[in-house]
Amino acid sequence: MSFLEVKNLTYTYSKNTPFFNDAVEDVSFSVEKGEILAIVGHTGSGKSTLVQHLNGLIKPTKGEILFCGQNIWNNEKNISSIRSKIGLVFQYPEYQLFEETVFKDIAFGPKNLGFSEQEINESVLNSAKLVGISQEYFNKSPFDLSGGEKRRVAIAGVLAMKPQVIIFDEPTAGLDPIGRNNILNIIKNYKKEHNATVIMVTHSMEDVALLADKVLVMNNGKKAMFGTPKEIFSDRNKLLSVGLDVPLITNVLLKLNELGFNFESNIITVDEAVNAIINCKGGADNA
Amino acid sequence: MNNIIEFNNVTYNYSSEDADYIVLKDFNLNIKKGSFTVILGHNGSGKSTLAKLMNGLYKPQSGSVLVNGINTLDEELDLKVKSTVGMVFQNPDNQIVASVVEEDVAFGPENLGLPQEEIRQRVDSALKTVNMYEHKNDMPHKLSGGQKQRIAIAGVIAMLPECIVLDEPTAMLDPKGRQDVIDTIYKLNKEHGITIVLITHFMEQAKYADRVLVLNNGEITADGTPIEVFSKPEFLKNSGLDIPQTTELIFELAKKGLNFKNGIISVDDTANAIAAALRK
Repeated sequence: MSFLEVKNLTYTYSKNTPFFNDAVEDVSFSVEKGEILAIVGHTGSGKSTLVQHLNGLIKPTKGEILFCGQNIWNNEKNISSIRSKIGLVFQYPEYQLFEETVFKDIAFGPKNLGFSEQEINESVLNSAKLVGISQEYFNKSPFDLSGGEKRRVAIAGVLAMKPQVIIFDEPTAGLDPIGRNNILNIIKNYKKEHNATVIMVTHSMEDVALLADKVLVMNNGKKAMFGTPKEIFSDRNKLLSVGLDVPLITNVLLKLNELGFNFESNIITVDEAVNAIINCKGGADNA
Repeated sequence: MNNIIEFNNVTYNYSSEDADYIVLKDFNLNIKKGSFTVILGHNGSGKSTLAKLMNGLYKPQSGSVLVNGINTLDEELDLKVKSTVGMVFQNPDNQIVASVVEEDVAFGPENLGLPQEEIRQRVDSALKTVNMYEHKNDMPHKLSGGQKQRIAIAGVIAMLPECIVLDEPTAMLDPKGRQDVIDTIYKLNKEHGITIVLITHFMEQAKYADRVLVLNNGEITADGTPIEVFSKPEFLKNSGLDIPQTTELIFELAKKGLNFKNGIISVDDTANAIAAALRK
């Protein structure tokens, strides 16, 4: 039994009208506890529609989502308990802040889940710490913060519910390198502390190479590829055919192979590339 | 006159209830006609303020900004300044005003009160330049982010500007949309001679420029060709910037004793340089 499993999921927009359109078509995959799954695909490939199914925001037209073996729609009245176990951080979450103070905004989720006063305080403190928002900010209006800080407060609001699976829809879009590293570290740390499963929609193949255990490649609403980053990135032609590419570093090694070298096709990070090239140099020097 | 934009001792502050934030102080910068300048800097480094000072959207509190010699403080010549330097912003959805693509592109020229035929001709030509002519009758909300951003650029081109300032135009786009927009910007510079100032987080876009500026806390901390600026990866990292994986690879290999000339950015150059070093 997988931790979270998606089986033959299909979602049709505007069903039973002349404008019907399959946004997601017969997609199946699974992810285990403590894994990071990256979902990639060009704009309009169905990524966002797909992830909104995973915590029951959208009900599938066909197929099912199994969480710990249970279909999340088995008991429709219970769907909000699923949303506390599977958290979703939308794109540009900083636009979804609404409370008077930072504390209240982070506390909103836990409060709605019926946490006790003490549990609320504890979870707000913990998640604020995790995203690097100090307690001095707690009484400020979230609207007085910088864009990067707002985003971290919004993420803290989801982390405060202590979800076992957390989904991020393009968490680093529009951020500068410092902001991006901040967010990626938050994701890694939350995963480590809670042995949580992370599902991340992203456009950055470099982030996929560094972070992901598994990759789901979407194209026109269908699953185009599924595997480890090394498996996915060793098939550049297939990626190009769905409008994506391998990381920049992999392209350099492919180019070197065109020039007559013989590097492995599964080198996807700078560190791996440095080692492979130095080894190659060493081999040549000794020959 | 060689410079299209000149900043002379410009100071600019934001004021809030609590305090004044100085963004730029005694800032000087010249942008040459026909050049392609990329400005890099982390969030809060003053990049966007700088962009908005370039066509008079913001006015300096002291010092002056000259556009083709016209002071942006001159209210009477404000339209002249804004039609000389066009602006494109980050979010394509905030820049589209009409419900049909060609009407959106026509918005600027119509407001200039140009004759009908002139508007038609400018709109068609602008849409062809950004490769969106076949979408001229489409609804903008049906287009992708990259397509919308090219429509926004077409709207600016239809005003026949001499210079376009783009403030993170690709930050919200996917890789394909990003590349289409960058190709369009490059073409405007090389084929149409339009001066480009491109503000970006994407370091690899700097390779298209003939000049790269790094902005940190309102000051220019590096100014040179892409090769010159990218030959100092440690400095870029300390400025809160990322370096492309290609530059990082070369830098790390150089530390381990392989010899390269510095500041290589593109994949092909990197592969060629490594091949040469390995075959030595």
